[in-house]
Amino acid sequence: MGSRYLGRKLGQAVLTILAIVVLNFLLFRAMPGSPERLLRNPHMSSEQLAAIRERWGLDRPLIPDQLVDYLTATARGDLGVSIKFQNRPVFDVISDFLPPTVLLIGLGELVSIIVGLTIGAYAGWRRGGIVDKVGTGASLILYSMPYFVIGMPLIIIFAAELHWFPTSGMSSVGISRESLPEQVFDIGRHLVLPLTTVALGLIGSYSIIMRSAILETRSEDYMTTARAKGISDSRQLRSHAFPNALLPMVTIIAINLGYVVAGAITAEIVFNWPGLGTLTVTALQERDYPVLQGLFLLLSIAVVMANLIADLLYGFLDPRVRT
Amino acid sequence: MSVAAVTVASARREAWRLRLRGARDFGRRFLRRRDGVIGLAILVAFAVIAFAPEAFVGPLQTATTATGLPLDPPTGAHLMGTDELGRDMLNLTVHGARISMTIGFLATIITILFGAAIGILAGYLGGTVDGMLMRLTDFFLVLPTFVLAIILAPIILELIGTDAEILGIKATLIVIVIVIGITSWATTARIIRSQVLSVKERMFVDRARVIGTGSGRIMRRHIFPNVVNLIVAQTVLTFATAVFTETTLSFIGLGDPFQPSWGEILNSAQATGAPGLGAWWYILPPALCVVLVVLAFTLVGNALDDILNPKSSQRR
Repeated sequence: MGSRYLGRKLGQAVLTILAIVVLNFLLFRAMPGSPERLLRNPHMSSEQLAAIRERWGLDRPLIPDQLVDYLTATARGDLGVSIKFQNRPVFDVISDFLPPTVLLIGLGELVSIIVGLTIGAYAGWRRGGIVDKVGTGASLILYSMPYFVIGMPLIIIFAAELHWFPTSGMSSVGISRESLPEQVFDIGRHLVLPLTTVALGLIGSYSIIMRSAILETRSEDYMTTARAKGISDSRQLRSHAFPNALLPMVTIIAINLGYVVAGAITAEIVFNWPGLGTLTVTALQERDYPVLQGLFLLLSIAVVMANLIADLLYGFLDPRVRT
Repeated sequence: MSVAAVTVASARREAWRLRLRGARDFGRRFLRRRDGVIGLAILVAFAVIAFAPEAFVGPLQTATTATGLPLDPPTGAHLMGTDELGRDMLNLTVHGARISMTIGFLATIITILFGAAIGILAGYLGGTVDGMLMRLTDFFLVLPTFVLAIILAPIILELIGTDAEILGIKATLIVIVIVIGITSWATTARIIRSQVLSVKERMFVDRARVIGTGSGRIMRRHIFPNVVNLIVAQTVLTFATAVFTETTLSFIGLGDPFQPSWGEILNSAQATGAPGLGAWWYILPPALCVVLVVLAFTLVGNALDDILNPKSSQRR
C-alpha cells in the first residue's frame, strides 16, 4: 500500500481526534454546573472562591494554559471523576460498562452482516422475485423502526407472555455461585432478545444497501463478460457480483458505527442491559457531565478509528483509490 | 412594442409553458410509483390529525382530566386502553402526532437551510472555502450525533432560556429541534455540493459569468434552481430521520412530559414497565405511528429521489 495514502489517512484521523478533544474542552466550559458556574454562587466567601479557582487551575488563562492541561490529562487517560459513582475516575466507570456493550454490538454486527448481506444480495440478484419483494419490504419497515420499538414487542411476546427469556438484565441473581458453563448459559439466555433487537435493526439497512450495490454491479462490463463465458448463475453472483458489491459495504459499515452505538443505547435501556447505553441514561438523569463527556470522547474516537480502518481496508481491497 | 420586448414576452410565455409541462410530467411519473402514492396517502392522513387533534379526540388529557382506570386494556370506552395515569391512549397518541410532526418539521427546515446553503457555497466557490467547509462537514459526519445531542441539550436550554416558545412548542422541545439541526446538516451539505459541482460546469453558468453576473446572483438564479429538485427529495428524506431522531431523543428522556410526543409516550411506557407487564396497548399505538410516518416519508422520499435526482434515475 502506498505510504502517502497511509500517511494522509492517519494524519486526518489524528487531526479529527484532536479537534474532538478541543470541542470536548470547550463544551465542558459551557456546561451548566461546571466549575466556572459554581464560582457564581453568592454564598461563597472570596477565600473559598480563590481556593477553588486554584484547585481547578481556573486562575490561569483559558487558552493556552487550561487547554494544554486538559489535553495532557486526556492523553494520560485522566477524564476527571464521576459525580454519580462516588467520585470514581470516569475512565474506570466507563471501563466497567464497556464489555456488555462490546458483546452486544459485536455479535449484533456479526449476525446482521451475515444475514443482511445475504438477503440484500439475493434480492438484488433476483430483482422483483419473492426474496426481493418480501425481504426488501421487511427491510424498509425494519429500517423505519427505532431499536427500542423493535425491542419492546419482543419483550411482550417472548418474555411477558411466553416466558421463554428473561425481561431484563444480563445475568440472574446469585448466578456467580454457579459453575462457569451455567454462567455462560445464563448470560446467553439474557442476551437472546437484546441481540435479536440490535441485529434486526441493522439487517434492514444492510440489506437495502447491499441490494442496490448488487444492482449496480449488474450493469458492469465484467458481468457481461462473465455471462458470455457461460459460467453458472450462482457463480456469477458468488465470484463476480458479490465481491465487488462488498467494497462500498466496508465504508458503510464503518460510518454506521456511530448510529449502531446510538441504537444500542436505546436497546440497552429497554432490556436494562448493563452497558454504555444504560450508563449514558444514568449519567443524563444524574447530570453526571464528566461521564457523558468521557462517553462522547470514547465513542467519537471509536468512530474515527472505524473509519480509518475502513479507509485502509478499502485501499487494500481496491488499489484505484490509493492516490 | 419594440421587437426586443415582444421577444422577451414570448420567451417568458415559453418558459411558463415548459414549467407547466414539467409539473404535469412530474405528477404523472409520481402517480405511477405505487410506493410513493401509498406513502403520500399516509402522510396526508397524519398531517390532518396533526393539524387539528382536538377535532378528533378533544383536548389533551392530563393526570387531573384522565377519564379511565390506570393501565386498563382496550374497552368500548377506551378503544386503545389507558396509561398508568388513566389517560386515554387514543387521545395521547393523536395529540402526540402534532408534537412529533411539528418537531420533525422544524428540525427538517433547519437541517435543509443549513445543509443547502453550505453545500451551494462550498460547491460553487470551490478552493479554500470549499476545503474548509468540507473539513467541517466531514468532522460533523463522524461525530456520534447521539451522545453529542445529549451533551448539547442542557447547554442550548441554558442559552435560549426555559421560557422560550415557537409554534406552541416549549423550550425543552426547541432544544431537540436545534440539536437535530446541528447534528444532521452535514449529509445534506455533501449531497448538494456534489450536484453543484456538476451544475457549475454547465454552459449557462459560464455565460452568466461572462456577462458580468455576480457570484451571489449566479448561485441564486442559476445554481439554486438546478439543485432545487435534489433539495426537495432530500427534505422529505430528512423529515423521516428527524421524526426518527426526535422519537429516540424523547425516549431516552430529553422530551417534555407536558407535551408528549410519541417518543415521550414510549418513554413513560418504559418507565412504567409496560413491556414486562405485557401492557401492549400502551406501546403499540405510538410505536405503530412512528413506524408508519418514518416509513411513509422514506417511501415518498425515495420515489421523489428517483424521479427528480438525475444521478439516481440513471442507475435504473
